Amino acid sequence: MDDDVPLGNPAESLALIERERANLERDITPDPRWMLWPWGIAWLVGFALFFLRYGPDGRVFVDLPDWLPLLVLMTLILAAGVTTGVMGARAGRQVSGPTSRQGLLYGVTWSAAITAFAVLFARISDVLPEPESGLLWAGGMVAVTGVLHMAGGALWNDRDLYFLGAWTLLADVVGILIGPGWHSLIVCVAGGGGMIVAGLIGWLRLR
Amino acid sequence: MTEIDPRVTELDPVIHAQARLRVVSALSVLRDDDSVTFPRLQESLRMTAGNLSVHLRKLEDAGYVEVTKTHHGRTPATLVRLTRRGRLAFEDYTAALRALLDPLEEQ
Repeated sequence: MDDDVPLGNPAESLALIERERANLERDITPDPRWMLWPWGIAWLVGFALFFLRYGPDGRVFVDLPDWLPLLVLMTLILAAGVTTGVMGARAGRQVSGPTSRQGLLYGVTWSAAITAFAVLFARISDVLPEPESGLLWAGGMVAVTGVLHMAGGALWNDRDLYFLGAWTLLADVVGILIGPGWHSLIVCVAGGGGMIVAGLIGWLRLR
Repeated sequence: MTEIDPRVTELDPVIHAQARLRVVSALSVLRDDDSVTFPRLQESLRMTAGNLSVHLRKLEDAGYVEVTKTHHGRTPATLVRLTRRGRLAFEDYTAALRALLDPLEEQ
């Protein structure tokens, strides 16, 4: 077909316009599955191990080595951080201008927030009993995640991301109020599950 | 139905060619002042580099797009963006298409 020839039918033209817009939009947006599923999996697996080893009221559902849940959670979170960093940077290289600068600053904000809270928690968790110390770390970091997803939703005008952040924060606060042990289970199911679902919805919308 | 509506031929001739309409449509996704790399645009549009260059030159001549050569680190990069004028032309064009479509549907 000669592509210099105009289309005769307005409906065909409008369909063509929408198709090309959707194509480029998908090509320059980091795949929501790669951005959210690694975190969802880290939370699902990591916090499940925490719940099984450090259950409510000091119960041990499965007698895992006491270092295992933290090691698994940290390893999976590190892997998730690297994955989203690489995928985000790759998408950022395709586009130049205010949006990629926003993306870079948003990414740096995550590292800054997590580092600041890690310093604070490391400083005071020693004086807390172990269950409360665990709750401080997990509850604090999940709250940071929820808040930054909400901020991301506001920044990118993305309702789904904003809702995911609010949902994560709600689950976190409910878990904190119920107490150590239950917090792990709630964050595992609602938080980790929420990110899996959000990644799926984001991907379906782009397709 | 693919017969040509006579009113369609009065639309903006620069973006009325199918290939250039596709280019401008894709670029309209970018936010103001954002640009996309040439290879990404080419891949997304599934055009050859030569073909895309020809159409970009025509769009550039009309002042609808801006093509900038720059460097990402050491690798040279060509960036493409829609100018304000190009965005306005695209918006006028889609509005005209919709206006053509509405009375047609009422018949």
